[in-house]
Amino acid sequence: MEVIFLLIAISLILAGSFLFLFFRAMKGGQFDDNHTPAIRILFENEPKTKEKKEPSPTTKSK
Amino acid sequence: MSNQVKISISRETSTCYHCGEECKDDILHFGEKDFCCNGCKLVYEVLSENDLCNYYEIADKPGLSQKSVSGRDNRFDYLDDVDIIRKLVDFQNEEETHITFSVPLIHCASCIWLLENLHKLHSGIISGRVEFIKKKVQVKYLHDKISLKELVRLLSRIGYEPTINLADADKKTVEVTDKKLIYKLAVAGFCFGNMMLFSLPEYFAEAELLGEGFKKTFNYLNVMLSLPIFFYAATDYYRSAWLSIRNKAVNMDVPIAIGIVTLFTYSLFDIFILGNEGYMDTMGGLLFFLLIGKYYQQKTYDTLSFDRDYKSYFPVAVTKLVRDEEEVIPLIKLGVGDIIKVRNEELIPADSILLEGEAFIDYSFVTGEEVPVAKRKGELIYAGGRQKGKALTLTVQKSPSQGYLTDLWNNDSFEKEKVNSLESLANRISGKFTFTVLAIALGALLFWGFSGQLSMGILAFTSVLIITCPCALAMSTPFTLGNTLRVFGQGKFFLKNSHVIEKLSQVDTVVFDKTGTLTSTSEASVSYFGEPLSAESKSIIKSLVNQSTHALSNRVNTWLGGVKAIKLDEVEEISGKGLRTIYKSQEIRLGSADFVGAGTKGLPEGGNLVFFAVEGMMLGYFFIQSGLRKGIETVVSDIKEKFPVHFLSGDQDHERVNLVKVFGNRILMSFNQSPGDKLVYIKNLNQAGVHTLMIGDGLNDAGALRESQVGIALTDKITNFSPASDAIMDAGVIQKLPAFLDFAKTSRKIIKASFGLSFTYNIVGVYFAVQGLVSPVFCAILMPVSSISVVVFTTLTTNYLAYRKGIKDKIW
Amino acid sequence: MPGTTLEQFSYDNKIVKYFGVATIAWGLIGMLVGVLAATQLFLPEANLGNPYTTFGRIRPLHTNAVIFAFVGNAIFAGIYYSMPRLLKTPMWNKALSWFHFWGWQLIIILAVITLPLGFTSSKEYAELEWPIDILIAIVWVAFGVNMIGALIKRREKHMYVAIWFYLASFVTVAVLHIFNSLALPVSFFKSYSAYAGVQDALVQWWYGHNAVAFFLTTPFLGLMYYYLPKAANRPVYSYKLSIVHFWSLIFLYIWAGPHHLLYTALPEWAQVLGTVFSIMLLAPSWGGMVNGLLTLRGAWDKVRVDPVLKFMVVAVTAYGMSTFEGPLLSLKNVNAIAHYTDWIVAHVHIGGLGWNGFFTFAMLYWLWPKMWKTTLYSTKLATTHFWMGTMGILFYALPMYVAALTQSLMWKEFTEAGRLAYPNFLETVIQIKPMYMLRAFGGLLYLSGAFLLVYNMVKTAKQGSFMAEEQDEAPALKPHVDEPGEFWHKAWERKPIFFTILATIAILIGGVIEIVPTILVKSNVPTISSVMPYTPLELQGRDLYISHGCVGCHSQMIRPFRSETERYGEYSKAGEFVYDRPFLWGSKRTGPDLHREGGKYPDSWHYYHMVDPTSMSPGSLMPPYPWLSTNIMDHDDVPAKIRTLQKLGVPYPEGYDAQANADLTIQANKIAANLKTAGVEVMPESEMVALIAYLQRLGTDIKKTTASNP
Repeated sequence: MEVIFLLIAISLILAGSFLFLFFRAMKGGQFDDNHTPAIRILFENEPKTKEKKEPSPTTKSK
Repeated sequence: MSNQVKISISRETSTCYHCGEECKDDILHFGEKDFCCNGCKLVYEVLSENDLCNYYEIADKPGLSQKSVSGRDNRFDYLDDVDIIRKLVDFQNEEETHITFSVPLIHCASCIWLLENLHKLHSGIISGRVEFIKKKVQVKYLHDKISLKELVRLLSRIGYEPTINLADADKKTVEVTDKKLIYKLAVAGFCFGNMMLFSLPEYFAEAELLGEGFKKTFNYLNVMLSLPIFFYAATDYYRSAWLSIRNKAVNMDVPIAIGIVTLFTYSLFDIFILGNEGYMDTMGGLLFFLLIGKYYQQKTYDTLSFDRDYKSYFPVAVTKLVRDEEEVIPLIKLGVGDIIKVRNEELIPADSILLEGEAFIDYSFVTGEEVPVAKRKGELIYAGGRQKGKALTLTVQKSPSQGYLTDLWNNDSFEKEKVNSLESLANRISGKFTFTVLAIALGALLFWGFSGQLSMGILAFTSVLIITCPCALAMSTPFTLGNTLRVFGQGKFFLKNSHVIEKLSQVDTVVFDKTGTLTSTSEASVSYFGEPLSAESKSIIKSLVNQSTHALSNRVNTWLGGVKAIKLDEVEEISGKGLRTIYKSQEIRLGSADFVGAGTKGLPEGGNLVFFAVEGMMLGYFFIQSGLRKGIETVVSDIKEKFPVHFLSGDQDHERVNLVKVFGNRILMSFNQSPGDKLVYIKNLNQAGVHTLMIGDGLNDAGALRESQVGIALTDKITNFSPASDAIMDAGVIQKLPAFLDFAKTSRKIIKASFGLSFTYNIVGVYFAVQGLVSPVFCAILMPVSSISVVVFTTLTTNYLAYRKGIKDKIW
Repeated sequence: MPGTTLEQFSYDNKIVKYFGVATIAWGLIGMLVGVLAATQLFLPEANLGNPYTTFGRIRPLHTNAVIFAFVGNAIFAGIYYSMPRLLKTPMWNKALSWFHFWGWQLIIILAVITLPLGFTSSKEYAELEWPIDILIAIVWVAFGVNMIGALIKRREKHMYVAIWFYLASFVTVAVLHIFNSLALPVSFFKSYSAYAGVQDALVQWWYGHNAVAFFLTTPFLGLMYYYLPKAANRPVYSYKLSIVHFWSLIFLYIWAGPHHLLYTALPEWAQVLGTVFSIMLLAPSWGGMVNGLLTLRGAWDKVRVDPVLKFMVVAVTAYGMSTFEGPLLSLKNVNAIAHYTDWIVAHVHIGGLGWNGFFTFAMLYWLWPKMWKTTLYSTKLATTHFWMGTMGILFYALPMYVAALTQSLMWKEFTEAGRLAYPNFLETVIQIKPMYMLRAFGGLLYLSGAFLLVYNMVKTAKQGSFMAEEQDEAPALKPHVDEPGEFWHKAWERKPIFFTILATIAILIGGVIEIVPTILVKSNVPTISSVMPYTPLELQGRDLYISHGCVGCHSQMIRPFRSETERYGEYSKAGEFVYDRPFLWGSKRTGPDLHREGGKYPDSWHYYHMVDPTSMSPGSLMPPYPWLSTNIMDHDDVPAKIRTLQKLGVPYPEGYDAQANADLTIQANKIAANLKTAGVEVMPESEMVALIAYLQRLGTDIKKTTASNP
């Protein structure tokens, strides 16, 4: 019978730490930008062949 | 305008492959693709070189026209200055640098794609990451391979020139406040959820099925879960309540705080002493709902900044001349007496005297008038103007922060945060509310007490406080205002925060800035006087004005519409004077009176004149008036029915005549108003005890906007620079202004109505409470029901009424 | 160092192809079996007169095949394609990927072998015996490791919402599977559940519901958030909404389980819990649906022409329908009507055929041309498939609803005299036979549509060229430290384990709070003194009952309604099931409830009824079990079973295993003799005798006493 006190306590402590981690995620900025990621997934890098994809190193600083 | 559209259709149209704009006159070709201007073509070349043409597949015609972008290549030189770099970057170590640019031009998926593939353009760039809503891009690069200057130049070459200004330089104040709220919301939500879980059996009278062990456990768990709510999630309310009590006022948070504390303490008593189940779940729910309301009210427009002062308009750095050696110094370091160089398209950083060069200053951002003014050697030039034409040398008279314009920001009205003079409706009501509740509660206590049932009395006392805990009451304001804020936002009228709505509803005097607010350069009226123009001379003028970027030339150009331009061998533009060319061995001039050598007597007042002369023979002139905004007359006449209306203008009063003609004489007009004067003008009005609404557009209105009860900055492009204000309005919707003002009042009515609603709930509650009949289940049901119904009510009514009043075109 | 920040890597399409093919292959088989089972319900001959193809064993085969083989492989195909692309990194380890693939197929094959042979734990959607359960756990963990590995090595800072759904699904299913499959083995093919009666039921449905939630719903929501925007080439309607509804969903689902046990002997408050949370579930579920559909706003012109989007729209709509129906069904008064009827069958098939099936089809139609660098072979064919599928669903679901209501109302109808209007259960069955026929037709339609898909896939593959490895490049995601507190930021980002922990916790809270009380607190299971453990013979009979999957059609849980107590007798008490490992409450009454079967009919009746059901009850849909009377039962494992049960706390006297078989023989002979007097010759060792022994025992304990039962 006492076990249940223990178990629920544990589960809630775990839950608390989960909340704590959620905060960190917030702080970490996983949820900062709620728009761009949705667009980002639509981009497809059309597969290029090896030699073609050497990005011509510098086109600028002329 | 309209006839021009027709014409553009009639001629064979070709649109720019890059920006999709219609290519006028000269179409550039590159790889069987058409471009409207060299800028666009250049961008395309860069992208195709690095096979990034995917850019053009993701969105159709994703680019923005490069016509306006200044080509001057050394305009980023100041980015070599070490401590400017240090101020701008987010992070730097021995090899990497991370910097966040704000790029207003970000507008579509293609932009994101391109800016996140920067590494394909230059091996020195590690990565780019876009935040679309904020129109920001963070670039990480290796600073030994590419310098900040090169990076910015690269960005501008591909058509995404970042805006870097003084504000960025002393920035680094990230908002943490609303995150705090989210944390609190999360805590409340989490605890509330679990409390519900543990209280469920109670609600359904399953307690006996649970068995004592569970009953106790669950109650203790509820207490445990209530602690974070009571000691963390609710703290804001205690603070605000305490504050308001300290200044002898009672705001909405006082009853809330009382409610929370009673709920908590009584529940503790109930659980530990009486061994009942307590009201912890009710408290959890209460906080959860309240915080949702708070969060909902905190609508922010990330892309807009309401607090811009001159800093975010002025350049970060200036070119200083030290014995004819150019060096780029940060603006802050600029001192009186310094000799500075200002090139084409650069800002005059401080009030200075012109030493050499032909000054030709465009003050559109300051005054709203975009027709550049010519200045002669030795004249004083005010800061904020933009030089059009050759480079100038000036000597600084006042330090940037002390200038004619910038002096505004030293005015004390910028020191103190705008105080919310009138207390909000909710707070005024809550005062009465609180005392009533306390009275009732005490009444109940005494009644039972004298009838000899003290315990019953205490029960009744607490239940009254618990049941009347003004959750619903407190919800109605945030949700109504939150909704209104959104509705306005959808109507392109963006408020700094929800307090502005209440202030807006108090307004009883409206002040307009004239130039750029009432009048709009795009609405300019052009009329031609003199000998009728032959088709030939029209084409000549057309091709002349085609060559010039001068505001007046543009207007003449528009007036001429689709007239075919003819080839002229060489057109010379004498900035500040006009244009001249040789056609069929005849000298043709277009420009100011003295330039064409025309007399100035008997000419119309209140506008700009452009003269047309052949061989020194003045054939006629264009009379160009900066026209009034579309629909402004109706707006003003609507408003002046209700409140006094004032006009302020920085210009001479030569336009008074036709202003009176249009708006009637019941309007108080003041001319020759310096930015400071405008501020003082509003101050006086305020002292006269009226609630002022100021509508302006330029930096020179910033003081007035600041001082007024509500300051609205009018702007043709929302993302453009606009001076500090309480609200930003898209110039396109100015005719809705009366509707907005009206709706601000409506929202107050809605709040009142929903107060009524929640009062009825409270009356019901109190009826039971005084008899001590309140059970936890009763609370747990009444509380959410009342709150939710209030939320639904306000949301629906707000949106519906907005729809009825034509602020929204569809209800959702 | 500088310059090398741009990294080259490639995505593995081969594994996707394999999972895709497996999806189709198993899909066809699973649906075929389904159609067979459907046919058996109106045509008993379709049971083909042998134990292996009778309905009782075919049904679990069907459910396992479609859920774990068809949908399972589809999930893996979808994840193995989308996840690397979302994280800009290949899956963590190719070898592991292939272990996962072949391991999973092996599991399915084992299921296909063992289930018809009658090796089953009889727990719905968890029928497989313990060795396979262990194998499942291993393969599943391999899958998880592969995902988390990829997360750690990812090059994209942000975890797209789809990934969260994938991970949550992985973690939950793992926990659920282990929780629910806890059992004590007797032999390699036989085990007894760790929980008994009510507890077992609670655990089972906590699992059962979450299997639906986290195997059929969350992974597919993840897939939806990737493939729907991709197919429509427009970002999801509201990314914020997707995040919010993810968190609320994963939290609420956990508690919803008990709604499968309304009005049962489960403690009331646990039932209430289930109901309340199920109703709350409506919000997040519809959040997902709305988000999916609104993504297509302004793209309906595309939907008109593109079969992929067509399938997706119906899929998402079906999701919305079944997630509306779910809470509805968990309302007690609705459940009172719907439970044990075909309504539930219709409900799950709306979800299965509509949401899972159609979305899988859409995904395949989208993936194949992409991976073969070509276009779909025939859009017309795909569209035809779409319409056949849609018609199939309608022909399936509508008759089922009619059948459900008809039957349920007939069960509950009383005459003025206050007697049951249809006392003979069979009447209510014959009444709905035509509906069963229509249903089978609907299934057939759906199946034949799937064949079009196969043809289209093959042709598409033929005309294109398969790209096994897809090149891509991305800058390395180097951790950088700037603001303070950044450490956690990093920790969170770099170590998805954290996320995994979060989900685990969420699930644990749910599990613990819901289960622990019932397991631990005696007060929840009122013990009844007269309830005794099963005798060895009854035990054998019970295991036969289990292995023939009788529970598929016969419930053993009489709900406290007059209509049921009138028909079956005293309603079931929690205390009566304390020795039931596993519980056999059942979830569908194709036949009558058997909880009070004991002593209703003479042994001989059962004999004849088994040999040919129609002889005792004309028109019965039950398959005949003639072999029961001839099959000799091998009782050698009885002692082992006794010992195992003793370990689980069943109070057999010390050393009873030694004399168990003796008692068994005595009881067997008694029954055999009894049958002889009725003129029936059966060997005491026959399966028939054992089964009769069990049936005659059912629900009799409580009658033995007038005392007790709280």
